[in-house]
Amino acid sequence: MAKFHPDLDMLTEFTAGTLSLAQSACVSMHLSYCTKCQEISEAQTVMAANLFEDLEPVSVSDSQLDIVMSRLDEDAPLTYSKDAYAKEAGTPAILQRLMHGDFSDLNWKKITSSLRISYLSTGDPYYEFALYHIKAGGVIPEHNHQGSEMTLVLEGGFSDSDGTYHAGDFLFREAGDVHSPAALADQDCICLAVLDAPLKFTRLRHRWMNPFLQLKAS
Amino acid sequence: MVTKKPGDEVTNLESGRRTDEWSQCLRAIAKHRDRTAFARFFRHFAPLIKAFALSGSTLSANHADELVQEVMLKVWQKADGFNPDKASASTWVYTIARNCRTDLYRRLQKFDTPLSADDVSLDQDGDEPAVMLHQRRTRDRVRVMMDTLPADQAHILAKVYMEGKSHSEVASELDLPLGTVKSRVRLAIQKLQIQMED
Repeated sequence: MAKFHPDLDMLTEFTAGTLSLAQSACVSMHLSYCTKCQEISEAQTVMAANLFEDLEPVSVSDSQLDIVMSRLDEDAPLTYSKDAYAKEAGTPAILQRLMHGDFSDLNWKKITSSLRISYLSTGDPYYEFALYHIKAGGVIPEHNHQGSEMTLVLEGGFSDSDGTYHAGDFLFREAGDVHSPAALADQDCICLAVLDAPLKFTRLRHRWMNPFLQLKAS
Repeated sequence: MVTKKPGDEVTNLESGRRTDEWSQCLRAIAKHRDRTAFARFFRHFAPLIKAFALSGSTLSANHADELVQEVMLKVWQKADGFNPDKASASTWVYTIARNCRTDLYRRLQKFDTPLSADDVSLDQDGDEPAVMLHQRRTRDRVRVMMDTLPADQAHILAKVYMEGKSHSEVASELDLPLGTVKSRVRLAIQKLQIQMED
């Protein structure tokens, strides 16, 4: 059971559909691990539906009804069961869709001896959506964030000065936060990070890597 | 009005009253491909969907009509997946309308994405037992909570959920500090959580 969750503001924006695409994909994946947040979001949806029922109706002409009636025999688009898809492989369905396979099929870019990054395309032009693979016991050099960063642990776990995080745990950091996460000693850690600006390594000896970390949103 | 045949199961819980007719309507659409039921459903929900489309006020009248058509077509196509134990008819329709509106916004911004809002949102179909257990209780409690909400909180919730505005957009529109907007939304949601935990 996840111990770290998106805050209420973020769940509200997720449920209202106003969160950016890449961020909402990340929150949605957290929900696939977390029944508590699922329940909050469900209750918010029911609340929103109440507001919907109470809207002042805007008249729709009969010609609109005719148009829809004439289209009822069109073929319905194909749909896929999200659950079946997800349970089979153990990773969230959205992620499988974006990876076109599993972690081993990805193109991993080596950043340091213990850190590899693979960028996935969500179609969101404003946010980078990337998987970080940190070797067991490996440390990501201290860095700060010029923008916000959402993190979701997918496998293994890591810790920083604020706590220890395991699969399903969700973290959100604002611009300016500095941290230096380290993977747990016994298992490699894979996590998803959604960024709206590149991170910057703070220590002089690591700064040469910064040009390799241009934001890759798409 | 739906004519009730003997043996039809009607659960008239408080909040269920006004949605049960529409649940049955959806069942008729799913089971019998009943076009008369569909037209009745359309006449009730299409004006709400149009109001929802226009409430953000960024969509043109043409786009609002397009959205109404798209949502109602999905109602016809997906009626089979509607599960009255899991969601009321209006929650189900609202979810489709919200996701279609989000997708329309993204299409208008020329997003090229493999993900639809449906992929990312919680599934209102299906039958996960854990969630179903609470569903009817949730509905009743949310209704009670909404009816006792102070006007200033209800107003802001409408802006966030119906108009699809971010907290900061609501703040500048109502000329309130961002913190005030956030805390009013939070207060309402926390009331909701307290209702759920009892």
